[in-house]
Amino acid sequence: MKANLPDGQLLKEIFASGTTWLEKSAPDINAINVFPIPDGDTGTNMLLTMRSALEEATRNSDSDASSMTKSLAYGALMGARGNSGVILSQFWRGLAKGLEGKSSFDAKDFATALAEASQTAYEGIIHPVEGTMLTVLKDAAEAADKTAKVNSENLLSVLEAAVEAAKDSVARTPSLLPVLKEAGVVDAGGQGIYVLLDGALHHLKGEKDKMQYRQPRLVAADVALTPKMAPTATEVEVPYGYCTNFVLKGQSLDLKKLKKDLGKKGQSLIISGDESLVRVHIHSFEPGEIINYATHLGTLHQISINNMDDQYVEFIKMQKERLPTADIAMVTVASGDGFLEVFNSLGTAITVPGGQTMNPSVRQLVQAVESAPSDNVILLPNNKNIILTASQVESLTSKKVKVVPTRTVPQGIAAFLAFSYEANLEKNAQVMEEAITAIKTIEVTKAVRKTQLNGMKIKKGQFIAILNDENLIASGSNIKEVIFEALLKADIEDADVMTIYYGAETQASEAESIAWEIQDKYSIQVEIVRGGQPYYNYIISLE
Amino acid sequence: MVKIVTDSCSDITPELAQEYGIMVVPLYVQFGDKVYRDNVDLATVEFYHKLVKSKVIPTTSTVTPEFFTKLFTKLAKETNEILTITLSEMYSGTYGSALQGKAMVKNKCHIEVIDCQLAIGGQLLLVTTAAKMAQEGANLNQIAQWVREAIPRTHVRMSFDTLEYLRRGGRIGKAQAFLGSLLKVNPVLSIKDGTTFPVARPRNRAQAMDFLVNFAKGFHHIEALAIEDATTPGELEILAQRLKDLVPPERFYRSKISPVVGTHVGPHVLAVSILEGEC
Repeated sequence: MKANLPDGQLLKEIFASGTTWLEKSAPDINAINVFPIPDGDTGTNMLLTMRSALEEATRNSDSDASSMTKSLAYGALMGARGNSGVILSQFWRGLAKGLEGKSSFDAKDFATALAEASQTAYEGIIHPVEGTMLTVLKDAAEAADKTAKVNSENLLSVLEAAVEAAKDSVARTPSLLPVLKEAGVVDAGGQGIYVLLDGALHHLKGEKDKMQYRQPRLVAADVALTPKMAPTATEVEVPYGYCTNFVLKGQSLDLKKLKKDLGKKGQSLIISGDESLVRVHIHSFEPGEIINYATHLGTLHQISINNMDDQYVEFIKMQKERLPTADIAMVTVASGDGFLEVFNSLGTAITVPGGQTMNPSVRQLVQAVESAPSDNVILLPNNKNIILTASQVESLTSKKVKVVPTRTVPQGIAAFLAFSYEANLEKNAQVMEEAITAIKTIEVTKAVRKTQLNGMKIKKGQFIAILNDENLIASGSNIKEVIFEALLKADIEDADVMTIYYGAETQASEAESIAWEIQDKYSIQVEIVRGGQPYYNYIISLE
Repeated sequence: MVKIVTDSCSDITPELAQEYGIMVVPLYVQFGDKVYRDNVDLATVEFYHKLVKSKVIPTTSTVTPEFFTKLFTKLAKETNEILTITLSEMYSGTYGSALQGKAMVKNKCHIEVIDCQLAIGGQLLLVTTAAKMAQEGANLNQIAQWVREAIPRTHVRMSFDTLEYLRRGGRIGKAQAFLGSLLKVNPVLSIKDGTTFPVARPRNRAQAMDFLVNFAKGFHHIEALAIEDATTPGELEILAQRLKDLVPPERFYRSKISPVVGTHVGPHVLAVSILEGEC
């Protein structure tokens, strides 16, 4: 046996450092916890689970890797709290399986054990969801395996690969799990796994002392942070119930049957352990029923039942503290999936579907304002026919509401971009109104009937261009010619930035070829964005 | 005389350091296995070239406590009062290192360490003003008190082409609100309470520069002003022309974003920092 191979003591030490790292970032991890329930305790739960694991490990003076991992796994199981804690305990159980019978281990063993740990974590859950800590564990294990294949001796490079992969994986979680994307956060449990491994890596690099005066760097989501934790206009508020946790001790426990039976009694079920000792985590409206069921199978220990609705209230408070000052929520009206995404990407709290020929009701707007996560709301109607409806909202809610009278969607976007995090509600409304005046909107659509407007004779089916939702400025049968004529009449030469939003039935390639021609002719920054709007082939803004 | 110590994230140029007798401690930037001292082993031009060209993503690291202990011990032979002003603790562990380094100094020298909750030009303005006070004979307590009072009057605005560098380095702070925009914007951010905040979203660089200029012109009384670029000296010149009349020439500073900060903000940042006069 090589004397310098990593053993159980080293494993304990590096994960003790990992836990220190986790402790430093636990509050930040709590703050991004939105899945499966936004209860804001993932960081704490993972930390307490790790502490319990380490306490058990401290009692073990054996340097044997197999024995030490078993202690860690047992401690994690006994101390597991919440969803993330139970999954973490599964991770340790898998790692112990992977290192079974080994007194020391090399990089390859570690990679194999990580793979086992990741697989075991998946097995604890009936319906595994990607974009969570499971995915992060899997990606880390895969990267470790890849590196171990070429460098089987070097634990440092294997752990380094795992940490890098975990970091990237965490950054990707919002694109895998829509609820994360909506909230503008990465997965909290995944973040916890990354921090834990990163802390272990720092220790292995010999930076244990440095860690005292350093802070873990958390992975940020690649999407806007939006205050969308409150239910949206169309959602009905549903209580979350109780988070129920306990350890079940018994003999020849049938884990499959336990999973099946409990699965019918609640959500977010996770089961970790073996036939003599099982950790159960479940969300249910009737925790009594679950406890009652389990007492028939063995003895219950470490029972905890938390009201998740209370936790949610706390969580919302925590969210407000995270948001960048200016406690103002934006509520917008728009139609077209592209425009909805644009407003989302800018950080709108709620977008009410509506626009040309589908005006939202006052009630819909009031609902949206009421459910916006702030008492200060700015409402952008984005259509001249909705401005009047929107202006009635102010008197129908106790919240402070300012309506910025945006007549077109580009005006709404310009107003939104002018939003200042350093100004209050009134000042913002003023800045936004000013921003509207600096923008021109050209809407291009097909005439639905024969008509005569502004001295122009228009046949049914011809293209028409309207400036600022008021004046017909161009018409014709060739859409490009209509657009160019309209641009000229809208004084394109005075503008710096032009954005072309193409509609639901317009091809991206057509929009691109128009953009090329414009750039050839004028010195202007042209941007093409899918608006996905109905009726209008193009909505163009000049600013 | 009080000795003023700061870190390289203050973007204090060697000329300024010389003029005001400021000791600038370099942080480190690492490309692969190679470690460079900020602004010492790696000049800004060379660094930004590498940042854009190199496939390796650089990392940065802080000054160690041992470094500070040695430095303080050495400086204590020449002075009995040292004021160290570090960048925000939320961006780097330098403040913690300086505190630890101070604790290990076995000397009677009076050492004060202040986290100025800023970086770049904002830090530059505080540090140079502190050094000026030292040259004029102020004592440590007076200068330290002035710095603490001046922090809320020091304002930093930076315009970006992309926030990707900030996000990747974990220093995005509350400016995360500006990530993921489907429209091209040149975000303007501030540094407040030690971290990064979103401010505005101009649509292009020209609008972003207008924003910076209007921001500076919005103050009634400016004591000192600093402007910085990373790789766009032409733009910095334009900015200088538009702002130079706001303060006397000796309180108008031009500098470059150091490699360590550049690692986290990218190559196209323009920054304006203002030390607002006392009312």
